[in-house]
Amino acid sequence: MSTLTVEHVARIEGHGTITVEMESGVVSDVRMDVIEAARFFESMVVGRRFDEVSLITSRICGICSPNHALTSLKAVEAAFGIEVSERTELLRKLFVYGSYLQNHATHLYVFAAPDFVGLPSVFPLAQTHPDIVERALRIKKTGNDLTTLIGGRPVHPITAVVGGFSAEPSASDLRAMAVRLEALVADTVATAELFQSFEVPSFETSGEMLALVDDDDYAIYDGETAALDAGWRRPAAEYRQFIAETVVGHSNAKHSTVAGRTFMVGSLPRINLSSDRLMPRAAKTLATLGIAAPSRNTFLNNVCQAVELVDAAERCAMYIDRLLGVGGSTAPQPFTIKAGSGAAASEAPRGTLYHAYSIDDDGIVVAGDVITPTAQNLGNLEADMRAYAPTIAHLPKDEFILSMEKLVRAYDPCLSCSVH
Amino acid sequence: MAPRVAIIGLASDFGCQVQVTNMEDHLLDVLGLMDLSYWQLASSGHLPDEYDVAVIEGAVTTADHAEALLKARETAAVVIAIGSCAITGGIPALAGTADYDARYGVVYGDGVAVARGRQLPAPVSSVIEVDYHVPGCPIDPAEFVTVLSRAIMGLKDDMPRDPMCAICKTQENVCFLDRGRACLGLVTRTGCTAKCVTLGRPCTGCRGISPEANIPAARLVYAEKGLDPLELDRLFDLYNAAREVVV
Ligand code: SF4
Ligand code: SF4
Repeated sequence: MSTLTVEHVARIEGHGTITVEMESGVVSDVRMDVIEAARFFESMVVGRRFDEVSLITSRICGICSPNHALTSLKAVEAAFGIEVSERTELLRKLFVYGSYLQNHATHLYVFAAPDFVGLPSVFPLAQTHPDIVERALRIKKTGNDLTTLIGGRPVHPITAVVGGFSAEPSASDLRAMAVRLEALVADTVATAELFQSFEVPSFETSGEMLALVDDDDYAIYDGETAALDAGWRRPAAEYRQFIAETVVGHSNAKHSTVAGRTFMVGSLPRINLSSDRLMPRAAKTLATLGIAAPSRNTFLNNVCQAVELVDAAERCAMYIDRLLGVGGSTAPQPFTIKAGSGAAASEAPRGTLYHAYSIDDDGIVVAGDVITPTAQNLGNLEADMRAYAPTIAHLPKDEFILSMEKLVRAYDPCLSCSVH
Repeated sequence: MAPRVAIIGLASDFGCQVQVTNMEDHLLDVLGLMDLSYWQLASSGHLPDEYDVAVIEGAVTTADHAEALLKARETAAVVIAIGSCAITGGIPALAGTADYDARYGVVYGDGVAVARGRQLPAPVSSVIEVDYHVPGCPIDPAEFVTVLSRAIMGLKDDMPRDPMCAICKTQENVCFLDRGRACLGLVTRTGCTAKCVTLGRPCTGCRGISPEANIPAARLVYAEKGLDPLELDRLFDLYNAAREVVV
């Protein structure tokens, strides 16, 4: 028996090792060993005050920190029975979309693209293809600037608090941002075209696909959890009743199943379940590129991220317009601290994120629970790796490894999130 | 010859490394200052046997981390710690405040995860000597560039030492303590232009304890303002549970 390992897989967030075992040329086992260190966030929030939860859980992930902050705020608000204003909802959607732009641009150009052009990193492209690198940086920077405009900085937003915001951007800054976002649409369409031009294997995952859905919106901020194959929709706050987590011996991240099946979350499942909710140019891009939703090809997650970039640029400009018209306030309204439990979900760039907390009469957290997108994806990723490896086992070692890494990166895994 | 730089991540959320990529306008210029030898987040390749500068993000929470640090110190002429996780233990060290081993059970139940060589979360300086520091959770990319340039030029580490209150006053903020709300500006290392207070939130001490801070005096101020003096200590646990004061 021979074992092939790729330690500390590069260009993903967090530390993980791919292990492939072969017996006389036949793949006998494939694993994704997540060696990222456990930080025990779910135990860390216990004993802290309700208004510190978002500060702490935001530090689960430096890329999707707005989602962790937002989802924990919504869970605490659910426990106290707090309703937020439409203005607060719009601003929250905007700062989450800021992290979409930043995450998808980073993943597509910095993490994934080097695989398709045969380079170790994106940096050499700055010399050979400056236009591509500049485009990547423009999208990423617009995302960061959007999150900063609302949250105070690109990583770990400051202003998002229980019940609303502690400060708001000015109308003129918002207007200027809307103009930039409109102008960004061309860059995002070019990104989708670029990724659609990269050849990907015709591989199909056998897992279920889950995402939040909403009748009136592309569900990012809220919604019900929908299952593509099983066809159900359920309140997201009941996630513990449909997602089962198990501890596996080779990983610090738990694995998840739904009705006994592994499943995928992220851009591909979202587009599969909500393509009819995309903004016009995003829908057109999807159609022109000939991507038929629903698709089961995991590798298409990349191009789906690019389509979401188009959607985000268009949609945020629209949200800003709406925001400038709604009036109202984001200042938190008085609320009563009381014992209770609350659960909430949102769509982070890499998939559905669930948080739940129980709080006592003094506002102190007594229990916390978080399921991150990558923790949900890991079981399915491994199943995909096991199914895909035998089909490419004949390739020379370097190509075999690169192909496996491409599959892993297509999920845009965040191992620090997955362990948390 | 450009210095060979390796960026190494321990227990963290990668936020500080993400901040390094977040200086979009200057990223390529900054990368031009150095020969990037290893950066798992952004490039394929292995940690080489030789490099000049080690940039460390994250807290030490496993025996593997400690070993990686010893190796880095042996290899690199200069070690830079970035972010509260690396400098004070940061948020990961918050897990060290109560029975650490029990936390495994809270998260994993009686399941067996890898979690090998688990140890109490601690700052990088608990294992090796650190030459330069970029405080904050997350770091400010501009401050990172300044510190990296100083390190490359061999200038001394000049982290600001004073507490934050003075600079906060110049921002024309209304003091939270005067409004009866706890704020850590009194004892937190300055350098962020009182970012949170300016945006309507009290400082929670992410830049670490100022070496000039007078903590007993700060507790008295809390009492004068009608706050529980021990609230200061409770709040400080967020990013400074390991109570590391870097001078
Ligand atoms: S200091 Fe904060 S932003 Fe930096 S790695 Fe640690 S948790 Fe993330
Ligand atoms: S105000 Fe305090 S918590 Fe906020 S960034 Fe500055 S040091 Fe950190």
